[in-house]
Amino acid sequence: MKKLENYSEDIYKCSKCGICLAACPVYEETGNEATLSRGFFTLLHGALNNKIPLKKLAKYLDYCTTCKACFDFCPSGISAEEIILAARSYFYEHGDISAIKKSIVKAFNSNMILKGLGFSAFIYRALQGPFWFDQLGGLSSQFNLISNIVNSQTQEYIKYKKLSPVGDKKEINAVYFPGCINNYFNASVKNATVMVCEKNGIDLDISPNFACCGIPARGIGDMQSFISLAKHNIGQIDLEQIDYLITDCATCGMVWDIYPEYLEGEYKEKALLLAQKNMNIYKFLVQFDIFLPDNVEDNKIVTYHDPCHLKRSQKVDKEPRKFLSLLPGIKFEEMKNADRCCGASGLYFLSKPGISQSISKRKAENILNTKANIVTTSCPSCKIGLSQGLSLCNRKMPVYQPVELLANIYFNKMN
Amino acid sequence: MTISNSISIDKVISELKLVLDKKNNILTEYEERFCYAYDATAIGEKLYLPDVVVLPENTEQVAQIMKIANKYKIPVITRGAGTNLCGGCIPLKSGIVLHTSKLNKIISIDKDNLTCVAEAGVVVEKLQQEVEKLGLFYPPDPSNLKVSTIGGSVALSSSGPRCFKYGGTKDYVLGLEVVTAKGKIINIGGNTVKNVTGYNLSQLFVGSEGTLGIVTRVTLKLIPLPESKQVLLVFFDSIDDAATAVTDIISHKITPSTLDLMDQKTMDTVEQFHPTGLPTHYDAALVIEIDGIADTIFVQAKQIEEICYKNNAKDVRIAKDKKEADEIWFARRSAFGAVARMKPNVITEDAVVPRNKIPQMVKAIRKTADKYNLNVCTMGHAGDGNLHPNFSLDLRDHEEHERLEKAIEELFDAAIELGGTLSGEHGIGMSKAKFMNKVASNEVLEYMKLIKNSFDPDDILNPGKILIK
Ligand SMILES: Cc1cc2nc3c(=O)[nH]c(=O)nc-3n(C[C@H](O)[C@H](O)[C@H](O)COP(=O)(O)OP(=O)(O)OC[C@H]3O[C@@H](n4cnc5c(N)ncnc54)[C@H](O)[C@@H]3O)c2cc1C
Ligand code: SF4
Ligand code: SF4
Repeated sequence: MKKLENYSEDIYKCSKCGICLAACPVYEETGNEATLSRGFFTLLHGALNNKIPLKKLAKYLDYCTTCKACFDFCPSGISAEEIILAARSYFYEHGDISAIKKSIVKAFNSNMILKGLGFSAFIYRALQGPFWFDQLGGLSSQFNLISNIVNSQTQEYIKYKKLSPVGDKKEINAVYFPGCINNYFNASVKNATVMVCEKNGIDLDISPNFACCGIPARGIGDMQSFISLAKHNIGQIDLEQIDYLITDCATCGMVWDIYPEYLEGEYKEKALLLAQKNMNIYKFLVQFDIFLPDNVEDNKIVTYHDPCHLKRSQKVDKEPRKFLSLLPGIKFEEMKNADRCCGASGLYFLSKPGISQSISKRKAENILNTKANIVTTSCPSCKIGLSQGLSLCNRKMPVYQPVELLANIYFNKMN
Repeated sequence: MTISNSISIDKVISELKLVLDKKNNILTEYEERFCYAYDATAIGEKLYLPDVVVLPENTEQVAQIMKIANKYKIPVITRGAGTNLCGGCIPLKSGIVLHTSKLNKIISIDKDNLTCVAEAGVVVEKLQQEVEKLGLFYPPDPSNLKVSTIGGSVALSSSGPRCFKYGGTKDYVLGLEVVTAKGKIINIGGNTVKNVTGYNLSQLFVGSEGTLGIVTRVTLKLIPLPESKQVLLVFFDSIDDAATAVTDIISHKITPSTLDLMDQKTMDTVEQFHPTGLPTHYDAALVIEIDGIADTIFVQAKQIEEICYKNNAKDVRIAKDKKEADEIWFARRSAFGAVARMKPNVITEDAVVPRNKIPQMVKAIRKTADKYNLNVCTMGHAGDGNLHPNFSLDLRDHEEHERLEKAIEELFDAAIELGGTLSGEHGIGMSKAKFMNKVASNEVLEYMKLIKNSFDPDDILNPGKILIK
């Protein structure tokens, strides 16, 4: 794992060309140079040269949603996201984190996490509790918004039903990593994923006792917790029994790719092998001749939002679109800036509500311009961003995962 | 003349706070000001910290800010995207940095009269996209048009590859709304293409680098969007052949929208970092774009191909579709980035010579780079005789930095000797102010100072730029 000090050359390499100004969703809202990569690198460079105390920078680096958009454009090829996370880890180690985050960390570090209640679930539950309303002051007046966001997460669109497979069973060992939302909060996507796979003759192995992927810990710089979660999850898998490791959450998928960077020895080796087997559900499904019922009498326009952790981290963007365009009764319509950040970004919508909401609102406007009836994405956090934006535009629209749409088609055809 | 003592700064800030009603629009923290001590110019470890940064949301606020600055005689440095390469936004004498990031509305697009009005902070690409939706075209295309602002590109008279056929920013400015050093809002020029009512003040502001007034709104000329375009990539064994091919194309009465040049070192570096299958053994390549009516373009592309082969081209690639065209442009546009990846810093120079002197200038660049043992990739706009030698180096290596300084001065002398000048499009700012006397006589400099003095008698608008007192 690279520490902040190891990035000093990268930080110095920023030529201040300013190209990142075009990419950064946060700068679009703030217009403030101190809130995006060029400013961050200027500041970090200043800190590494003792012109600014490093701990003063935490406040500014917190503006980054870690969406990686600037990295796509950066002529010098510097990853703001990596460096910012390294800096956050430094701040965490030195106790320079905000009060809100501290309280999250405390809850997070209690053994509740590994025992059962997922971290994300904790957040969503907590959202409804008075504690957060006090902490977040400004948000308490936005009860409607909060309840819409919470609703977006609690509606279980797809209930599990055993479906008989079409054709022969496939000889594939596919282990499914469901992630916290599926596990502890709302199993709709998990139900859909399992049903779609079963219908197509693929039995997912859903038995292992997985914990949270660890991303919330990494996001606040608590690398120790992240690493222990990584080890726990890797320990659940038998390498002899796995051809694919399937995720439907963009973030969980990304995390399996990066585990090796944080581990050493045996764990690292195992993590490297698993990273090769790690595959997003849509990339997995489109390899097969998916069963598609005829006579689907529906006529829906569907659009798709690219989660940053899926498109930029895992390079999966064509597959979900291909999957959607296969579905009967559905017309796929591309939205403008489909790969721009949705504004939610883990805890960002809580820590920077103003900016987060403006970003989400722009996203929602692009969704509404497609005249879509349904918006899809492949990440529970993005679901928050999309619901938040739509709610701010006073519109209600279902936010699904593409697999939920297919599961729903199967389901209706069966009844 | 500038005051930067703390008592009056506190007063200035409290008055500014009354003008900028939102607290996020006034930045006073040390860390925030630190971010505004730099622009895209490599100034090494020097630090010129502004006293305060303001993000006004409308012209009225700009005028109020300027009134306060004038009252306390404190400098105001206007900043668009802060991407200039001449230190134009560096607050040399502290003061107020006025960032136009929130003056970002397109006010109107007039389809019938082919004009538009935009606030200074509107990004060039955004404006282009909006007018193109209506079948209109705003041609000036600095290569960083994704971020470059209208105000910044007016203040620097920016231009890009399309300049050869369409001209640069200066050819599209019809009128300006400007806030003066005393905080008055004035409207100069107009919104008609023809206008001979007195001195052409709007052109005086084009390229004035924020030293005469703050541009808050710009009225721009638009033209109809060409129906289609075509890109060719042509390789030569010698830069001389490339240069004669350019002259030959032009003498055949073909006016390509772009005639861009990359030298061998550039192609080699692009391939190293963004491989697109560019051959790396040719001495030079031309990126030629033509636009217009589809049929004519097809004929012209063939003609250009023929002319190039006649001038010893080794290979001519005509983009078959949009994908191939995008690839060619990707290679050309990646050039700067590729150079930036070689070593930590990159210094882009901006010499301009008469078109037929390009081979001599390229050779002078190579010779000078060899002499001072520097790494240089040369690219540029062959149609305009505008060359960008990009030096990649590590500025922390002081000895290397010194060699670069010497090389740059020699290059300017070479450009001037060939009948050229210091800057084609990047401006003078603080970096080249010391060379002004190489290109302008004392009388000319005196007149420039008179102009500056009549707009800004107290030297509070971007002091220390263009003219050294
Ligand atoms: C990677 C890269 C590529 C580039 N390519 C090109 C190119 O192809 N062609 C080219 O011409 N240039 C190029 N440049 C130089 C520069 O970026 C452009 O000239 C650009 O248009 C400047 O716009 P800006 O908004 O960044 O201006 P800034 O850098 O913010 O400002 C430039 C100058 O104008 C003044 N100014 C800004 N706004 C105003 C205003 N509203 N009123 C009065 N004064 C103002 C500033 O004080 C400063 O002196 C390039 C730079 C980089 C880093
Ligand atoms: S694009 Fe990269 S090199 Fe350019 S200013 Fe941003 S971070 Fe720095
Ligand atoms: S990662 Fe995203 S939010 Fe962070 S600086 Fe880059 S573009 Fe902005």
